[in-house]
Amino acid sequence: MFQNRAEALALALPAAIFAGLVFLVPVILLLSEGFRSADSWSLSAYADFFSQPLNRTVFLRTLKLGAIVTAAAAVIGYATAYAIVSLPPGAKGRMIGLVVLPLMISPVARTYAWIVILGRTGIVNQALMAIGLSDEPIRILFSETAVFIGLLQLFLPLMVISLISALENLPKDVVPAARVLGANWFQVFWKVILPLTREGLVVGGTLVFTGSMTAYITPAILGGSKVLMLETLLYQQVTVANNFVSASVIAFILIVMSFAANILLKRVATARNKR
Amino acid sequence: MTQRLFAPITLLLVLIFLIGPFLIIVAASFSAGDTLAFPPQGFSFKWILKVFTVESFRDSFVMSMFLAIGGTFAALLLGIPAAYAMSRYKLPFSETVRTIVSAPIIVPGIIVGLALLRYFVVPIGLSITLALFLAHTALVLPYAVRVVSASLNNLRSDIEEAAVLLGSSRLGAFFRVVLPNIRGGILSAFILGFVTSFNQVPVSLFLSGPGVRTLPVDMLGYMEIVFDPSIAALSSLLAFLSIGIVFAAERFLGFSRYV
Repeated sequence: MFQNRAEALALALPAAIFAGLVFLVPVILLLSEGFRSADSWSLSAYADFFSQPLNRTVFLRTLKLGAIVTAAAAVIGYATAYAIVSLPPGAKGRMIGLVVLPLMISPVARTYAWIVILGRTGIVNQALMAIGLSDEPIRILFSETAVFIGLLQLFLPLMVISLISALENLPKDVVPAARVLGANWFQVFWKVILPLTREGLVVGGTLVFTGSMTAYITPAILGGSKVLMLETLLYQQVTVANNFVSASVIAFILIVMSFAANILLKRVATARNKR
Repeated sequence: MTQRLFAPITLLLVLIFLIGPFLIIVAASFSAGDTLAFPPQGFSFKWILKVFTVESFRDSFVMSMFLAIGGTFAALLLGIPAAYAMSRYKLPFSETVRTIVSAPIIVPGIIVGLALLRYFVVPIGLSITLALFLAHTALVLPYAVRVVSASLNNLRSDIEEAAVLLGSSRLGAFFRVVLPNIRGGILSAFILGFVTSFNQVPVSLFLSGPGVRTLPVDMLGYMEIVFDPSIAALSSLLAFLSIGIVFAAERFLGFSRYV
């Protein structure tokens, strides 16, 4: 450990000043716009924002989609992670690789694929008509369902990875022990696996929830102007309505959500280090 | 019996869900037809070849490459000394510095792009290219600091103290002792930064002007107007590029140890 403070500052300050100037200052300026009206500080922009039904709908939809994507990712994630952890080592590594693989592909490409699958002439509609479930193509694109599917596919890998590391720390014998003592699978999960992997679930859950809340590409491509979420609404407010105050309000909501999630993650991380 | 089948069936379904769409995109990019469809109509390379002839794709590809390489390089130039100061010195306000430097990861990119547009590009007349460069550097900085910090913390600090005691200058010790030992971490940070920056959309969304935009933003605009397989072809090419880079990194560097 070197003690020279001036040297330490000289090394660290360029990065801090850069991030402060390019990032912190403009973002704070932008956020402050939502709290100003006619030269004084006020919350009227927030009252205005939430008084409009469209904005309320978009806000609630964003929360709702974030929540159900997280819940679905948790259920599928536990099943997947459990299946992967019980594989032999070689197969396990390959399987983790396959789950992580989509994370390296551009989200634009990953979301675009759903147009081919869910579109009017897409695979799903072809199949529905072929087996006679529907006479004409049904509309799946530009619905909340499409956005849900897209978000789930985008963020599921993060949940699986978090749960894999949690499940790997699970003592080997607890599940067989609970089974031998007569617990059914539901009880095993609820009373043994869940309490022991709660941290992994929180980490994965926050990543999936904030990821879904702040997603732009998925709602833009699969939701369009019919299914706006906060980020696509922000984009629209700036480019179509030229309304920077409302954009600032949305920005603040998004940042508060991300920060809250980040603090929660840090808490979990420090709690883990203490043990 | 049911338990035996549970694991393989779950994994199969999840993999179909996660990777299937990507395979469909790859198949669609070899289509001979004029509209995006699956199963593809016939087989040809015409859409793959067309990608290279679209001028705006070429321009935005060059722009994205410049941002990904230049921005990550700049982020490392700022991030390596900062990470070194945080791991080896008693840095005053070290928690504050860490928070500021890693803040860009928490704030959604679309807000950073909008803020730069509103306070730098419009009033001061900063060029969009420069704004993009600054934004991408800020975006990659947290990753650079985190990955380099991790590999510095894994390196015992007494070897450089020994070098200093034996008469090396502090700077000499850094370049001759520390740097060669964290080379893998730096390269991993570079690759992580490159992929993050190259695939990034929200930060660049507002920062586009005539002839200046990044490739993913260009693709988003193109797919709203034209419904042909060229976006599928371009997506597949880019996907194979990033997968190739990460695979090579894993092979030669053990990438996953660092990130």
